[in-house]
Amino acid sequence: MSRKKKRHRIDYKEIELNIMPFIDIFSMLNTFLLFTAVFLSVGVLEVQIPFLSNSPPPDDPKDSRVFQLSVDVTKDQVEVQTSYTRPPEQLQKFPFPNNPEGRKLLHQKLSDVRKKNADTDKATVYSDDDVNWESLSAVLDSVMLRIESDPVFPPVKDAKNKDRAELDAKTFLYPKIVMGSVMLK
Amino acid sequence: MASVGGSSKDTLTLNLYPMLDIFSILICFLLMSFSSDPVSHDVDAGVELPESSTIVALDEVPTIVVTKTEIRVNDKKVADIQAGDVPEKERTQGAIYPVFDELKKLADATKRLSKNIRTDDPNAKGSTGALTMEMDKGHRFKLMKRIMLSAQQAEFVQFKLMVQKELH
Repeated sequence: MSRKKKRHRIDYKEIELNIMPFIDIFSMLNTFLLFTAVFLSVGVLEVQIPFLSNSPPPDDPKDSRVFQLSVDVTKDQVEVQTSYTRPPEQLQKFPFPNNPEGRKLLHQKLSDVRKKNADTDKATVYSDDDVNWESLSAVLDSVMLRIESDPVFPPVKDAKNKDRAELDAKTFLYPKIVMGSVMLK
Repeated sequence: MASVGGSSKDTLTLNLYPMLDIFSILICFLLMSFSSDPVSHDVDAGVELPESSTIVALDEVPTIVVTKTEIRVNDKKVADIQAGDVPEKERTQGAIYPVFDELKKLADATKRLSKNIRTDDPNAKGSTGALTMEMDKGHRFKLMKRIMLSAQQAEFVQFKLMVQKELH
C-alpha cells in the first residue's frame, strides 16, 4: 500500500526591508558629527612668571640651603644649571644642542637630576629673545613632561589638592615652570 | 512596437548597501575622533600652533590670540604686529600698553567676581587666575615676553600656553 506524502508548499513572499529611515538617521548623524568634529587636538603647557610679593616666603628659614635648577635656552643651545642657594653653591653646567637629539639628552639629564633631588619640582627657564615659540615649546616639553622611562616621583607633600598632585606626579617631570626672563626693564 | 527602454516588466533597483557601508565607516571614524576635551575650540586661521606631547587638555577658550599680524584680547584687536614685533609707539618698559590696558579691565572684573565665590581655597578668592594664550609658532620669545610683561602688570602670573597635541 503506497502512502502518498502530502507536501505542503510554502509560498514565500518577497519582503523588502525599508532602509530609508536608517539612511536618514545616518545622514543626520553624519552631518552633525562633521559639523562638530574638531580634528586638531589642542593642549596646554602651564607656566608662571615671577612676581613681587610683600608676603614672607612660607617655611623658608633664611639659613636653609635649597637646591635650584635653571634651564638657559638660546637658538642653538640649551644649558642646564644646577646650584644651591647658599655656599658652597656647587654650580654645575650641562650644555646640550637645541635640536631633537639634544633635547632627548636634556630630558635624560633632567630626569637624573630629579632622581637625586626628588623634592625640587620647580625649574626656572630663561630664554633668549630670538628663540622662536616652536623651539621654546619643544624645550618646555623636555623639561616639564614625564616620559614612560622616567620614574614616578612622589607628589608634593603640602599640596592643597591631593588628587591633582598625584596626577601631576604621573604626568610631569617638573610640574612648576617659571619663565625667569620675564622681568621689567 | 518594442520600446527603446526594453520590456516594461524590468525593474531597476538602486543598490544602497555600498552607501550604507561608507556611512557606517564614516560614522565610526567620526565617533572615534569625537573630541572628549572639556572645551572644543577651533584654532584661529592665522595661527599655527607648535606640537607638544602634553596630555593636559585645554579647559577654557583663549583670552589672548597672537596671530601672524595682530594681537587680540577676548576677540578684540588691540595691537598690530609688524616684522614680528609691536610698533614702538605701543611699547612701554618692554610691555605693550594696549594689551596691559585690556587685561587690567579683565583682571579687575575677574577679581570682583572671584571675591564672591564660595571656596575652601583662600588663594582662589580675589585672584585673577590663569591666562590662556594662543600664539603662532613662528613668533619669537621677545613678543611673548612683552605680552607676559603686560599681563604681569595687570596681575596675571599664570599662563596656559596653547599647543597642538602630537598624534600618536
